[in-house]
Amino acid sequence: MSFVSNLLLATVRMAVPLLFIALAELYSERAGMVNIGLEGLAAIGSLVGFLVCFISGSTWLGILCGALAGIAVNMIYAVATVSLCADHTVYGMAMNIFAPALASFIYRVYFGAGSDLSQIELMRGIGLPVLKDIPFLGDLLFNQTPMVYIAFALVAFTVVFFNKTRAGLNYKSVGEHPKAAATLGIDVIRVKYLACVICGALAGIGGAYLTTCYSNTYSEGTVAGRGFIALAAVIFGRWSGGGVLLACLFFGFCDALQIRLQVASFGLPYQFFQMIPYLATIVVLAAIGAKKAGPKASGKPYRREER
Amino acid sequence: MEKLKRSLTAFIVPVLSILLAFAIGAVIMALLGASPVQALQYLLKGAFGSRANIGTTLSRATPLMFTALCACFAYKCGVFNLGGEGQFIIGSVAACYVALRSGITGPAAAILCLIAGALAGGLWGAVPGALKITRGQNEMIISIMLNYVATLFMGVVYTNWLRDASVPQTEAVPEATQLPRVVTGMRFTWALVIAVAVGLLLYYFLFWTSTGFKLRAVGFNMTASRFNGFPIKRYILTSFIVSGAIAGLGGAAELLGTQLRLINGFGAGYGFDGVAMALIGQLHPIATMLVAVFFAALRTGSTTMQAATGVPTSVSDIIQALVIVFSVAGMALVKLPEFEAFRLRVFGKRGRKEGVKA
Repeated sequence: MSFVSNLLLATVRMAVPLLFIALAELYSERAGMVNIGLEGLAAIGSLVGFLVCFISGSTWLGILCGALAGIAVNMIYAVATVSLCADHTVYGMAMNIFAPALASFIYRVYFGAGSDLSQIELMRGIGLPVLKDIPFLGDLLFNQTPMVYIAFALVAFTVVFFNKTRAGLNYKSVGEHPKAAATLGIDVIRVKYLACVICGALAGIGGAYLTTCYSNTYSEGTVAGRGFIALAAVIFGRWSGGGVLLACLFFGFCDALQIRLQVASFGLPYQFFQMIPYLATIVVLAAIGAKKAGPKASGKPYRREER
Repeated sequence: MEKLKRSLTAFIVPVLSILLAFAIGAVIMALLGASPVQALQYLLKGAFGSRANIGTTLSRATPLMFTALCACFAYKCGVFNLGGEGQFIIGSVAACYVALRSGITGPAAAILCLIAGALAGGLWGAVPGALKITRGQNEMIISIMLNYVATLFMGVVYTNWLRDASVPQTEAVPEATQLPRVVTGMRFTWALVIAVAVGLLLYYFLFWTSTGFKLRAVGFNMTASRFNGFPIKRYILTSFIVSGAIAGLGGAAELLGTQLRLINGFGAGYGFDGVAMALIGQLHPIATMLVAVFFAALRTGSTTMQAATGVPTSVSDIIQALVIVFSVAGMALVKLPEFEAFRLRVFGKRGRKEGVKA
């Protein structure tokens, strides 16, 4: 029993950073911006989140600054892809190289080379009154860090926003058919920039979560491919808020499972268990195939003058 | 004339990006309290200041050339192979097995290792290629996931299966099997010769053969190529396999020439660096190799710079990253119609006069 409940508890914890990063991509792609630079955005978010928390002692300030750093870096991507019409994939890759380099540079300048691991105090969990006393589910869902609640609330907001509000439908139309959206008076360029701000902020928060709520140190491999797994989660989740939530829970479960199995060992080298999330991503992508469900104008440059 | 203009832009944009990146690098150095001029001098000296330093730079450029050519080749066919690192690592693992477990040593073993590396890399590259053409799946995510799997698999090899006693690393490749240095006193080995040969071969194949032309056509416009009756899927799969084989060969060559044993961090980052170099080199094999030398020079030189001036080596990583950020944005910028209009407004007069003369 404790194996199962620990596993599920870890699943929720591991799913949350993925959820932030995947929602970042969802908001980006819904406005037609395919951003594969999430890994880099999360890397800079994790560094800034850690550093600010280390200096100020406040995890909240850390997460806020992680979000701001994500926005700042993603603005480079925004200018290049929205205004200069650079290829989204190529520029996303450029960000994946640039942002981690920037993060490790800042870390080394601040802490010096070869310093031992600096640690911070993780964000504490807050139990929601009454709800946390529900047996089993209480500990799992209502006795976590506030970031977990925020992540789930964000999913709910996303579902309502994209399906039930005019603003959300307008936003989505930019990703489906920008020219039609423009004729309806929607400022396509502004929505695309807004999408990049949201994407940068959420990916930065996802990265900052890793250092301020999950592991209390920073290292260069902190993000460990979560930026790319989040991309897969958006495809797996069929570009919907609820789908992305389920996909992230699944990948979070894989991550939690590999940690539990490593502890249990079974006499196998631990690396085989560490492969589980990555292999699961490949298997899932191969299994769902390429049903085109994403925004139709995703990844395409938009130029106002072209008709 | 149009072609000349295009190749001139293709040359100017990366060069300007490099200058701009160095300018920002210099500002960072100044902010860190060092003299940028002095730091850059040491950087240059460290990279090219002596025969030995040039040798080290070329030695460090070798593996980068392989992963850069790997990325370059796949992208020429219109697919994004971000799995160069995994293919490089799997190639080195295969080579390591042949070198340590086949029982033979000497040049024959070295050749066998290189073949094994290329095969393993090609096989690793075939996975995303096959999933792309059969399942229509995103080759980028798959190839990146395989990077992590390859790195972990290499971890199993050096911490368990081929572990050298108590240290988490494999035994060294026997001396007879190692790739020797080309020139005494300079660190680079025959691996560099192989890399350059691969690069020249790719250049010949891509630009001087009809198959190479078709492959580029697929990369340039997949839909048009399909209507032309080109077997797109076969081209995609083949380019993934060849691209993976180049990286795998690189992993094997790096193991036999420089690293000699598998250890934590082997090959880390080479895949993405390769993509960056290929993009800065405008996907031209020869330019890509030159960019690899430039990247390697930054890395070798930055060690000297750090020792002499205290500017951390990671400044050179920033410069590298800025070069890619600027050059990709720059290439997009010059393609914009607004830029063309701007260019005509500034240089338009002269252009019109020439037109009159002609």
